[in-house]
Amino acid sequence: MSAPLLSVTGAVKRFGGVQALRGVDFDLRAGEIHALLGENGAGKSTLMNLLSGVYTPDEGTIQIDGKHVTFNNPREAQAAGIATIFQELDLVPKLDVAANLFLGRELMRPGGFLDVSAMRSEARKRLEAIELAIDPARLVADLSIGQRQVVAIVKALSYASRVLIMDEPTAALTVAEVERLFDVMRKLAASGVGIVYISHRLEEVPQIADRVTVMRDGRVAGITEPHAPQAELVRLLVGRPLDELFPARAKATGRALLHLRDATFHLSRESAGWQAPTGVSLDVHEGEIVGLAGIMGAGRTELLSALYGTGLSGHWQGEVAVGGHPVKLHSIKAARNAGIAFVTDDRRGSGLMLRMAVGLNLVMSVISRISPFGLMSARRQAEAVKQSFGQFDIRPKNPDIAVGALSGGNQQKVVLAKEILGNPRLLLLDEPTRGVDVGAKGEIYARLRQLAAQGLGILVASSEMPELIGLCDRIVVLRQGRNVAEFIGGVDEHTVLDAANGREA
Amino acid sequence: MSEQKISEAIGPVPAAPVHRDPLALIVRFQSLIGLVLVAIGGVIFSPRRHGEILFLDPDNIANIVRAVSETGIIAIGMTFVIITAGIDLSVGAVLGLSSVVTATMMISGGFGLIPTILAVLIMGIVFGTIQGTISSRFRLEPFIVTLAGLQAARGLALVVSGNQYINISYGDGPGLAPPVFAILGERLFNNTVPVATIVFIVFAAIATIVLNTTRFGRYVFAVGGNERAARISGVPVSMVKVSVYAITGFAAALAGIVHAGQFNFGSANDGMGYELTAIAAVVIGGTSLFGGSGSMVGTVAGTIMLGALANILQLNNITPALQLLATAAIIVLAAVLQSLVRRREGLGR
Repeated sequence: MSAPLLSVTGAVKRFGGVQALRGVDFDLRAGEIHALLGENGAGKSTLMNLLSGVYTPDEGTIQIDGKHVTFNNPREAQAAGIATIFQELDLVPKLDVAANLFLGRELMRPGGFLDVSAMRSEARKRLEAIELAIDPARLVADLSIGQRQVVAIVKALSYASRVLIMDEPTAALTVAEVERLFDVMRKLAASGVGIVYISHRLEEVPQIADRVTVMRDGRVAGITEPHAPQAELVRLLVGRPLDELFPARAKATGRALLHLRDATFHLSRESAGWQAPTGVSLDVHEGEIVGLAGIMGAGRTELLSALYGTGLSGHWQGEVAVGGHPVKLHSIKAARNAGIAFVTDDRRGSGLMLRMAVGLNLVMSVISRISPFGLMSARRQAEAVKQSFGQFDIRPKNPDIAVGALSGGNQQKVVLAKEILGNPRLLLLDEPTRGVDVGAKGEIYARLRQLAAQGLGILVASSEMPELIGLCDRIVVLRQGRNVAEFIGGVDEHTVLDAANGREA
Repeated sequence: MSEQKISEAIGPVPAAPVHRDPLALIVRFQSLIGLVLVAIGGVIFSPRRHGEILFLDPDNIANIVRAVSETGIIAIGMTFVIITAGIDLSVGAVLGLSSVVTATMMISGGFGLIPTILAVLIMGIVFGTIQGTISSRFRLEPFIVTLAGLQAARGLALVVSGNQYINISYGDGPGLAPPVFAILGERLFNNTVPVATIVFIVFAAIATIVLNTTRFGRYVFAVGGNERAARISGVPVSMVKVSVYAITGFAAALAGIVHAGQFNFGSANDGMGYELTAIAAVVIGGTSLFGGSGSMVGTVAGTIMLGALANILQLNNITPALQLLATAAIIVLAAVLQSLVRRREGLGR
């Protein structure tokens, strides 16, 4: 067989003290759909960024058709035929499809005028080439996520046509849209394009992939056939059988801390894409960890942020009680007074003050407690910081360095420790281990279980099914803002996914 | 970053790899270093008379610190706003308005010294509070709101003054200001320390304590560090944001009173461009325009450094045009240094 279309040998990439890739070999054949799997922090994004020219490797080489190449920027990677579609589609919503396809390379009429009609007809041709009828004159903002995905593919292919790298393209798609996207991908592969397909969804792998590479902790954990059993993939992904990653569940739970019955959050103003909680009934008891499952857009994040008062403005209707007392949860203040704490899924954007010291971040939610008469007490602050460092193994053990310099796992520990300092009764967690390496994950799970054993109630939303299944006592499945099913922890992943997707079990 | 060392308070912490970046240290003390460099330059390039270095003459030094006191007071207030990642462009105009109101109240209004000062300070606070509330309530950029505030304050000042200088004459009786007010233009301690400078330094000392040791000060850093994170942590973000504009309003009014006392008149057009000098002093002082970090000591040093630089150039009869260019170069240098440190810390941009 001839040289692979694209190959990476011994790729190493460091970021400060963190080694994101520790010697990765990877290859892609022409006409192949190669699935790249790995947990968050396993290094797949870094590898993708090396291939697309966003980063250059510290060590190792990239070859195309057996020839060495180096990419100093994404433009050079495109010139070599590699196109990348990132999770955040780089489309301009306020421009139409044709304008997006030709952004930066507009067709012109003599005299410096845009040739709109030529661009539209060319755009139509390209879209029809993959048998997709989207009117090129439509605004991207008016397209569904799935249609945007396809526009992004067409755009990427018009820059470069040999290798297509797709980062979780199905994360936001409906089942029908996923099918259509897979059709497009198969067609492209049949025409000789090599596709690197990055995904979290194990169940999609046998449907679409020809080969699977699993990454873990910056290395290739294994290369396998797409029809390998799921248990085998999971073992490669987490490095040990699933059940060892998670602490044992608690037995007894106490009274209901959070009690929702037919609770609906009415928005003050309608907002597209914000799936308001609708007729939700669920309980979180003392000492219990309850998971929220659901596909993207099912309203997991919305439920948590509506409970905490950080979502859009609106009001709750139906029974909402915390600790046995009905409460009006309409603001952060009300939620905090009720003993609720919240850890967002976006720790860099809304969880931490990145440039400030770890210690200052830790005490952020208890400032009033450590400042009697409005004056900051260095002693109380130090006690609080010491408590956090004792509870969570934050490294390095230095409260004076900027929190932005910590690894993702340690940043996440800081965010959690910060909220725990406030002694909440109920902790709301949104994607508590996103971007966290497996080791830190295990620590975080163990700590959460300990906190629950001390009586804390935890409601955790996650898109990582193994996490919910392994960590939670119960899993509540949301679809279109309502709870549609409930399972005991340890349930089979497929059962939950079917409920989340609205398929009969 | 707060100056507080948490590790000192919790005792020995297991050794951790702390990389003391020399560049970060330079930036932390950049305005002090700059001040020292300017002072050395001042000594070297100072004209001499009978072998005496004019730059170091006590009269000259007193002149420098007096000349910077008004922009210094404003810069102290501005430091709070900039740490929250905001900006206040109205301060120079509020200074003009305050000088006019001060003069008018005492001369035409017949108000006493204390009622006048209190009224003007409250006016400054109210003006800032309105700006902060509009910005916070309607989620408008403080740049726009305070740009409008600048116009409003100048307009009000013109209305009050009728676009005339309002001279302040001293004495007892109607139409005269209490003679004690003139002290703002004098020097104390054996005719060495200008009173305006004392006002500046006392205000700076109070502001330093508020910023570094109070709950409110911590909130200011938190809001600038990450507003959303602060909100989620229960920090009263809107209150903090309104308060910092109340502080700049207060500072500008205080500077306006000092201005009226130093020059013995109120003028609607005075204080023009002071907002930019103050912002420059804050940035040179190491406070980040992105918010979340800053220091009062840095602002004071930055203010004096700019004043000393202007003074050297004046002593050597160098044109104001070159003074502006020199200031420009220093601002760019300070900003570049900060950006380099941010990039080294891997915090982007």
